[in-house]
Amino acid sequence: MIKKPKIIDIVYWAIFIGLFFLPLFTKESYIFHIFCLIGINIIFACSLNTILNIGELNLAQTTFMGIGAYISALIVMRLALPFWIAMPIAMMVSATISLAIGFLTLRFKGAYFLLFTFLFAELVRVLLSNFWIGLFGGVPGLTNIPRPSMSIPGLFSIKFSSNIEFYYLIMILVLVTIFVMRRIDMSRLGLLFKAISQSESLAESTGLSAMKFKILGCAIGCGFAGLAGSLYAHFVGIITPHDFSIHAVLAPVAYVVVGGMGSVYGPVLGTTFLMALSHFYLRQFGLYELLIYGVIIIMIIRFMPEGLISIPRNVSHWYGRLSKKE
Amino acid sequence: MEIMLLFQGGLNGIMLGLNYALIALGLSLIFGIMGIVNFAHGEMYMLGGYVAYFLIGRFGLDFFSTIIAAVVIIGLFGMLLEKFIFRPLTMRPKEALTSMIAAVGLAWVIQMGAVICFGDLDRNVPSTFKGIINIGGVIITKERLATIIIGIILVLLLNIFLLRTRIGSAIRAVAQDKEAAALQGIQVSRISSLSFGIGSALAGSAGALMAPIFSVSPFLGGEVILKAFLVVILGGMGSIPGALLGGLVLGFIESIGCLFFSVPSVSAITFSLIIILLIIKPQGLLGRD
Repeated sequence: MIKKPKIIDIVYWAIFIGLFFLPLFTKESYIFHIFCLIGINIIFACSLNTILNIGELNLAQTTFMGIGAYISALIVMRLALPFWIAMPIAMMVSATISLAIGFLTLRFKGAYFLLFTFLFAELVRVLLSNFWIGLFGGVPGLTNIPRPSMSIPGLFSIKFSSNIEFYYLIMILVLVTIFVMRRIDMSRLGLLFKAISQSESLAESTGLSAMKFKILGCAIGCGFAGLAGSLYAHFVGIITPHDFSIHAVLAPVAYVVVGGMGSVYGPVLGTTFLMALSHFYLRQFGLYELLIYGVIIIMIIRFMPEGLISIPRNVSHWYGRLSKKE
Repeated sequence: MEIMLLFQGGLNGIMLGLNYALIALGLSLIFGIMGIVNFAHGEMYMLGGYVAYFLIGRFGLDFFSTIIAAVVIIGLFGMLLEKFIFRPLTMRPKEALTSMIAAVGLAWVIQMGAVICFGDLDRNVPSTFKGIINIGGVIITKERLATIIIGIILVLLLNIFLLRTRIGSAIRAVAQDKEAAALQGIQVSRISSLSFGIGSALAGSAGALMAPIFSVSPFLGGEVILKAFLVVILGGMGSIPGALLGGLVLGFIESIGCLFFSVPSVSAITFSLIIILLIIKPQGLLGRD
């Protein structure tokens, strides 16, 4: 089921190569700070999209990001293990917990998964904020989480302490995430996910177990949420339970919906557009920032049902119609 | 003395519970009819509080007229939102998710709009009823008693409307099966608009009711929507007695539980219990599925 590369793939790769050389043009730390955050959110939006692809919304997706962040930070700070071991463990723990939750809740149709994940998110927030404060740090959370470093004695050593260095690390992981998502999307598994999200009973009538694949999709998504969390913890250096509350999941869902659900590049585009908009442009409006942001989201949903990703297709469609008339 | 404390907590529990039930009824109604998880529902509660703040505090209107005004104003506002934001989103693929995100955007817009228009300070609403009533050692302010009575009246009115009138039956029919209801000649779009209005009005009336007891601020909505979610999960999606029972259960747990345990422990235990309930009985206490 491998398709030929499309023009859109080439465009996006060109953008990535352009971003690779960005440090040649600017050295401003703030810009790289925002780009790193955008990268982390792209990974997170992709993970959210994986679960939306099986037709479910996980309101606890940021909680899984939080689980990844706390696990990774605690492994590095308490056990003094390197980030490169902590990160895969964080991914694995997030995915394993989501397997258990998927097993419990995905049997039921309708809104149960949504409601259950809502409860789970609130429970974890309350536990992290008020219990085992010696370990989790309570409401102020964990601080002074170290940046990762990498060294092979005699060859090289990188300490991802500046934002530009971290920017490259995140870019590589974003590329890996997009690559994996693209492979899943084009594989048989991706087709199965699409079939399940369109009609679960119809998909089951062909003999596959929808529940099994939904649990698998959920675990893949939550694993990547754990990756995003691990990166977030070591990039920002401070994590609090509030960062991963139920309110925090809504903005990334907006990224996915505005970008375009279902496709791999939609969430990437939506995240980049909305985050760049709010961090580079809307900042100047102060109080009005969130207001304008909300209006923009409502307008895009209202007038672009398939999200920003549909713009090139629509433009070529209009162009085709115009040239036909002439 | 201990027993008196329990009764005291119980009365507060009933008041809180009715408040939660009113909000959750609206949320449940909107979800049942339109399938929208309305994240802007809490903002209707907040706006209801501001209606009370302006009408009672600034214009000196009496409490009952204020509640009626809140029902009308927030109800109409809800219908406007339905017409211009949510209705165009229906009949699209992934309608439920897009309308949910539109509701999230709407919640931000309304919240920040309130900050800009009304300021971000906590506002106090003067109470209409002064004095206390002593029922065999249990003390309740007249204000809280009035809130409980008006809350019960509102729930009863909703019940009569849904069970005894033609429009009420039409709403229940649409909640059960949209297509079948349309085949019976029910105008589904009109029912959707009405339900959104009624649902919003319920939250608005709860906000106005509670305004003299708690203070009013633009950030009320976020907290309230989470409580309403809990109530709906407890009682079962789409069940009116369920929402009432769920609201009362949550109100009692909060007011009585806090007499014995710390607040975080109460919420941790509540969430754990509801999770277990959801696993054992996914349709909630009184939900049908």
